[in-house]
Amino acid sequence: MSSLLELKDISKVYGSLHALDHVSLTVEKGEWIAIMGPSGSGKSTMMNIIGCLDKPTSGEVIFDGRNISKESNQKMTELHRDKIGLVFQQFHLINYLNAVENVMVAQYYHSMPDEKEAMEALERVGLKDRAKHLPSQLSGGEQQRVCIARALINSPELILADEPTGNLDEANENIVLDIFRQLHREGTSLVVVTHDPEVGEVAQRIVRLDHGKIVSDRLNEHFLNS
Amino acid sequence: MFFRMVWGTFVRQWKKLLMIALTVALGASIATAMLNVMLDVGDKMNEELKAYGSNITVVPQSEAVISKLYEVDEDEVRADFITEEKVGELLTIFWANNIADFAPETDMTVKLNGSDVKLVGTWFNHHLEFVKKGSVYQRDTGIINLRSWWDIEDGVWLNEQAVDGDAYAMVGSELAKTANITAGDRIELVGEAKTETLTVVGVYESGDDEDRYIYTTLSAAQRLSGTDALVKRIEVSAITSPDDELAVKAAKNPSLLTGDEYDLWYCTAYVSSICFQIQEVIPEASATAVRQIADSEGKILEKTELLMSLITLLSLIGATLGISNLVTSAVMERSQELALLKAVGAKNGQITLLVLTEIIITAIVGAAAGYFLGYAFAQIIGQTVFSSPIDMSGMVAFIVAVLIIAVTLIGSIPAIRTILRLRPSEVLHGGH
Amino acid sequence: MNKKRRMFIRTIVASLVRRRSRMIIALLAIVVGATILSGLGLIYFDVPRQMSTQFRSYGANIIFTPTEEDGIAEEVLKQGLSYFPASETEGYTPYRYENSQIHNMPVTFAGTDFRLVLKTSPYWHINGELPAHDGEALIGAKVAESLGIKTGDTVSAVNSFEVTKDMDVSALPSYEIYTDPETGETYCDHMLDLTVTGILETGGSEEEYAYVSLKDLSYLLLSERGYDIVEVSVASSQAKLTQYVERIEGSVEGLSAKLVKRVTASESTVLTKLQSLVFIVTAVVLVLTMICVATTMAAVITERRKEIGLRKALGAFNSSIVLQFMSEGLLLGGVGGIIGSILGYVFAQYVSMQVFSSAIMFRPLLIPITILASVLVTGVACLIPIRNAVEVDPAIVLKGE
Repeated sequence: MSSLLELKDISKVYGSLHALDHVSLTVEKGEWIAIMGPSGSGKSTMMNIIGCLDKPTSGEVIFDGRNISKESNQKMTELHRDKIGLVFQQFHLINYLNAVENVMVAQYYHSMPDEKEAMEALERVGLKDRAKHLPSQLSGGEQQRVCIARALINSPELILADEPTGNLDEANENIVLDIFRQLHREGTSLVVVTHDPEVGEVAQRIVRLDHGKIVSDRLNEHFLNS
Repeated sequence: MFFRMVWGTFVRQWKKLLMIALTVALGASIATAMLNVMLDVGDKMNEELKAYGSNITVVPQSEAVISKLYEVDEDEVRADFITEEKVGELLTIFWANNIADFAPETDMTVKLNGSDVKLVGTWFNHHLEFVKKGSVYQRDTGIINLRSWWDIEDGVWLNEQAVDGDAYAMVGSELAKTANITAGDRIELVGEAKTETLTVVGVYESGDDEDRYIYTTLSAAQRLSGTDALVKRIEVSAITSPDDELAVKAAKNPSLLTGDEYDLWYCTAYVSSICFQIQEVIPEASATAVRQIADSEGKILEKTELLMSLITLLSLIGATLGISNLVTSAVMERSQELALLKAVGAKNGQITLLVLTEIIITAIVGAAAGYFLGYAFAQIIGQTVFSSPIDMSGMVAFIVAVLIIAVTLIGSIPAIRTILRLRPSEVLHGGH
Repeated sequence: MNKKRRMFIRTIVASLVRRRSRMIIALLAIVVGATILSGLGLIYFDVPRQMSTQFRSYGANIIFTPTEEDGIAEEVLKQGLSYFPASETEGYTPYRYENSQIHNMPVTFAGTDFRLVLKTSPYWHINGELPAHDGEALIGAKVAESLGIKTGDTVSAVNSFEVTKDMDVSALPSYEIYTDPETGETYCDHMLDLTVTGILETGGSEEEYAYVSLKDLSYLLLSERGYDIVEVSVASSQAKLTQYVERIEGSVEGLSAKLVKRVTASESTVLTKLQSLVFIVTAVVLVLTMICVATTMAAVITERRKEIGLRKALGAFNSSIVLQFMSEGLLLGGVGGIIGSILGYVFAQYVSMQVFSSAIMFRPLLIPITILASVLVTGVACLIPIRNAVEVDPAIVLKGE
């Protein structure tokens, strides 16, 4: 089985700040990885590079066997559109579109909008009956679930979540983590960036970053694949 | 802390505030330019209307009474004259600055090649110096500006300040045709007192009876007729205010006015008060308004001013909507940040004060810039259209300031209301 | 592709409908701009026509004079007048001048049609009334002053002529015959009593005449005759007036037409100034308003930077985002342009009724121009902020400020 994603000796430098300092990381297909670390540890930079939203200063990114660090911006856009689903801390839903329309936007840019499929995606996150509500009429947890449905809709090979529970209360946090478990069982690769130990501890593998370097990379012995 | 927050907004949000200031400046400049142009358009158009020539005629008192209806009569009735030195008195009246041009005239019948021709002697580009009670009044004036509609078909306008200026004449186009005269010709004129040979410097077309006249300098005409230093008529072109009720009342009989009314009338540039003042300084004369010119002027001015004020109104509405619009959207944009303040315990009053302080400071900066921009636009309009600067009224600065502050405040109201209604949790969780 | 287009339209409609307050703000800005453009545009084009009518308060701008001894006959006059379009002809007044006497003083009588006279001489100040019947007269102020005539007086106009042998004066209703004792010549004083209904003040030569009806004048003089002068007032530009006059000169026999240059030349000077005033005012206001529209549109777009970043993060190409936002902007521009051209027309009509008491001339071409201009300005105003927003790295935008 080949790796889904390989980061080879990645550095990212902002001025004199080394956000990432010669980092290497491999993500296998179907793996659930939590990337953890305090603020300023380079989590966000790493997430942007994995998500093809940004390019490293040096090093190579190989996604599904393709070296994307040399690709043009357009190719990168195509790649993260086709292979990656993004989940944000601030949800980033379009506020004048209702839940199902927000999901359809992702379809629109990927291939073809299909309301039925979008409804199915919402059903998976348990929001079928809230499909016609605008983001402002949804609770934070519901918004995050719409966001996950949107990330799922194009059947990505990797779901990349940035502090997905950062703005949620505990009950909603559990709902979101349950969805992640479900996705993991279905074979979707997950990369969750977080500083929250509770979120990190449920992952299969935990990578810790500090000052732009990987300080630990271990399999989670408590991981329950129930 | 309050000022630190205000200052913080200015430092961090300077781009957005700059945009608001820019819009306010544009609105203020429209308001400034249009209001100033509107307030000055009356005076400016009034000057343009001087193209129609004199709107007041001054004739000797006795001349006004005695019928001068027929050519035949002119020999019999011994018309009285105004002395030429009295003409300068016009420069001493209260509204002297409103007298744009004037020219004394005398006319007579002379013989040219044996046939009768009407000759008018007047000032063309006369330099007048008048001394009264030790003050020296000076003015360059004459008929050139009072006959804007004359087409000089041949030659040039008579320049009476030239060396031979006194021996020049201008001939009307019809007379030039019948008598076969062209510019440069010398014509011999037989007057009552003297025969003189004048050089024709120009042939004009006036489109009326004057096409059959000869025009020459006042002194040449006086030599021909032997009436030294006398004039029969003064044409006066004055910048006047349109007649209103008071003017109509005064025109009937100024002595019927009350003291206050009289003062107001006397100190307003009505055509009737200017006529009255002319008669005060030249008691032997009678000054009357040329109704065709004076009335029409009033009408045209009134229409122009009304037109301009409605255009100004539209521009003001446009400017105010533009400003309040942007202010509203700018404040709404900050709902998230302001809700955060609410979340950390800021009271509604404090938030409102914060927003208003920022907006008002921005608006004042914008309005100040806009005022100067508007000043520039007004001057561009003045120079392009009237070739003279627009008078800037201090009142406009005041109106613009009040308008801008009011509009900015009103523009902030809907946005502030929305913000105050918001529950912090909604905003923070309901973001984009 | 169909589904894609449907989603595209659905997004735009949702954006316009659900973001109502913002859309209203943007639309309002465009409508204000479009209203000013179409309103001031209509006024600018209509000012010369409307003001031209106002300038008729200066009175006649064309004069007909006879080329024949016995004046201008009525049918010749009608022929001459037919050269002016009826819509532009404000009025005309015929005059016949004759010398006669009042109170043994020589006076010039002007016979005219009092129903027409104020059309060509609106500046006449009359102390009293304009004569309405035959047997009434309007006396010039100077004549009245020198003869001591007041409104309400009855004066006797006298036409004195020498009676020759073959004349029969006995048919006259009111006459006196006397013989000069020295020369032995016989004179007849033919009299006409006139009621003075008003004294005329103009400050001009009109004050030197006594005005009576044409019929009274013919009766007093015992002779019929054409008009000595016909004043015509035509609301038109100097260039067109010159054309009319040239055409009449070439084709109508019995009269000669002439421009009153004092009136026409001055009018064209003043009117040119006025029109250029409205033009430059319109230009300045328009430029400023358009900038205002642009800043508002820019603000509305800038506000949506996050959305643009998100769309990029979802895999949208720049071109696709530009297309969507531009469509929205252009749609707003079009709608704003339509509303604005209607409001502009309403405003121009209001101004025209207030200032000139007549309807504005509708110019259909201004509608497409207004809409096109609104779309263009909105388009340009949107394009720049959209392009800026699209260039920004989505990662930065999404991280928030």
